[in-house]
Amino acid sequence: MKMEQIPTRSFGKSGVQISALGMGGHHLGSAEDRKTAEAIVARAIDGGVTFFDNCWEYDRGQAEDWLGSSLKGKRQQVFLMTKVCTHGRDKDLALRMLEESLNRLQTDHLDLWQVHGVSFENDPALFIRPNGAAEALMQAKKEGKVRFVGFTGHKDPKIHLAMLNTNFPFDSVQMPLNPFDATFRSFEKQVLPELNKRGIAALGMKSIQGHGDAVKKGVVTAEECLRYAMSLPVATTIAGMEKMEIVEQNLRIAQNFKPMSPEEMASLRDRCNQYADGRFELYKVSLKYDNPEARLAHDFPLDMQQLEVKQMMRATENTGKAFPSVSQ
Amino acid sequence: MASENDTRRAFLQKAAVIGAAVSSAGEMGAAMAQGSRTKTGGSVPRRPLGKSGLEVSIIGVGGYHLGSADDDQAATALVHHALDAGINFFDNAWEYHEGLSESRLGKALGSRRKEAVVMTKVCTHGRDKNVAMAMLEESLRRLKTDYLDVWQIHEVIYENDPQLIFRPNGAAEALAEAKKQGKVRMVGFTGHKDPEIHLRMLASGFPFDTVQMPLNAFDATFRSFEQRVLPEAQKRGMAVFGMKSMGGSGEMIKKGGITPDKALRYAMSLPVTTTVSGMNNLEILRQNLDIANGFEPLSAAEMTAIRERSRLWAADGRLELFKTTTMYDGPIGREQHGYPDPEKLPA
Repeated sequence: MKMEQIPTRSFGKSGVQISALGMGGHHLGSAEDRKTAEAIVARAIDGGVTFFDNCWEYDRGQAEDWLGSSLKGKRQQVFLMTKVCTHGRDKDLALRMLEESLNRLQTDHLDLWQVHGVSFENDPALFIRPNGAAEALMQAKKEGKVRFVGFTGHKDPKIHLAMLNTNFPFDSVQMPLNPFDATFRSFEKQVLPELNKRGIAALGMKSIQGHGDAVKKGVVTAEECLRYAMSLPVATTIAGMEKMEIVEQNLRIAQNFKPMSPEEMASLRDRCNQYADGRFELYKVSLKYDNPEARLAHDFPLDMQQLEVKQMMRATENTGKAFPSVSQ
Repeated sequence: MASENDTRRAFLQKAAVIGAAVSSAGEMGAAMAQGSRTKTGGSVPRRPLGKSGLEVSIIGVGGYHLGSADDDQAATALVHHALDAGINFFDNAWEYHEGLSESRLGKALGSRRKEAVVMTKVCTHGRDKNVAMAMLEESLRRLKTDYLDVWQIHEVIYENDPQLIFRPNGAAEALAEAKKQGKVRMVGFTGHKDPEIHLRMLASGFPFDTVQMPLNAFDATFRSFEQRVLPEAQKRGMAVFGMKSMGGSGEMIKKGGITPDKALRYAMSLPVTTTVSGMNNLEILRQNLDIANGFEPLSAAEMTAIRERSRLWAADGRLELFKTTTMYDGPIGREQHGYPDPEKLPA
């Protein structure tokens, strides 16, 4: 019998309820092994998490693969999201990626399919062009393979606004939301109100700013960051949990969640405003969080230290195939 | 790899010998060394340096690349060759190659200091006036001079830099004091990141004489300094120094976006005082001289055609990595702003 609960919220104006805490897919793919990932997912579901994030390119498919086996027999209990990694490329590529995602996730439909990593200034134009990813989103929805569609990005509120200004009927938008964001190239200030106005589901991420440097340096605690993000008018806050202890910590915060008072939020913002040069939000000011798919599609330099690049190099060794490759 | 390097070194040694010969031959200069590729009657045009009464050549020698020349001799040959050919503007910065760039320029200029307009930059990156004044003394010592023609705040690229510079006891006070003491004639600032940060610096009302910024064919349609900052600087009668005409490390050329000739011509045709160009060997200096000698600006129609052709590549900033990545952000600035070092954050 389920004893524990997490507050639920409406996914945009759809009325579909999702948990206010969501599980991040990237960290799931970085768990110690498949068994650990399965245990993490089982524990999260028991604890009241229903929203599961993922992405075609995370850990070269391992994140989707592990989530797929973790959800065996539990698919109906969750709201399943994954992302497509065209980064400006054609509709056909997007649809092939969708089939791969469905296979790995062992399901015939997604609850939410989002365009991943909208980070470059011409991404909105490339998305909406004839034969671009926008057409894939429409088609997948029409075919019943996905219920809702949206986009994500961590770089610049202006790019998010340009996506919204294409007037494509997005159901959701994902973005970094945390107390540092509030005073630096702010999604909270510039994008969130626009989503609320349009009834689009807002999905928060990077509540501890990606790698949690500010937490490690003692500027903020993980708990106050997560509580801050969850106190904003969002449908859910997606958090990475690659270890059981982190699952337990986040479940405890979410299960006991009381929104922060406006005064608490303001004082946290003030504390973070001392670092208004982006040092704790490197995803906005550098390529650090731009995955190889995005960089290759836009012809930006790769970072040989990046986990994804190392995975890519290992996976492409001796195959003679260029990366990225979508299997037929 | 090794053989390629050897070849390059051999070539450069030969080039350095030619350079040395030229400098000992005094006024003979560029024309002889350039041989058949020299345009007859060529000379590098000059433009007024703001309101100073000085005139500077329309192309300037970038200081960073002086530090990457093969050795001191090669750097000296390059500086002498440039002076002989009519280039009198020399860029530098306190932090380039941990002082090597300044030392090399100081050594090369020697008794020819007065022929040159010398600029260097101060690297407080948000720190106090005192740090700036100490850096100034060090720069003067390395450059073997008792005054600078231009002293600029280096790398204004972080969003809180303007605030840090203009705070009480910030770098702006050092600029004013150095000018009052007669140690510097003109003051300004530089940065490669974002026109908005430049505009905030200008909006402070501080009496900057100069400003340096990336100006190139790809900038015109992407986070554009040309569109947004250049007109503002002109309106104020400031001297403008363009830089990164080829994308910082020639990315625009290597990726086939534009030819070096066109790239430099485009930058030099803008209403700037000079275009700072990195040259770490005589071959590049000669190529630049070929363009600068008797330079005629491109027509408005030619400029438009280049911009339009560039628009496609410019749209995501792939050819201006100094704006879109941390690749060009120096280690001292990163340290002061709590950013990881280049090893941990390469881009």
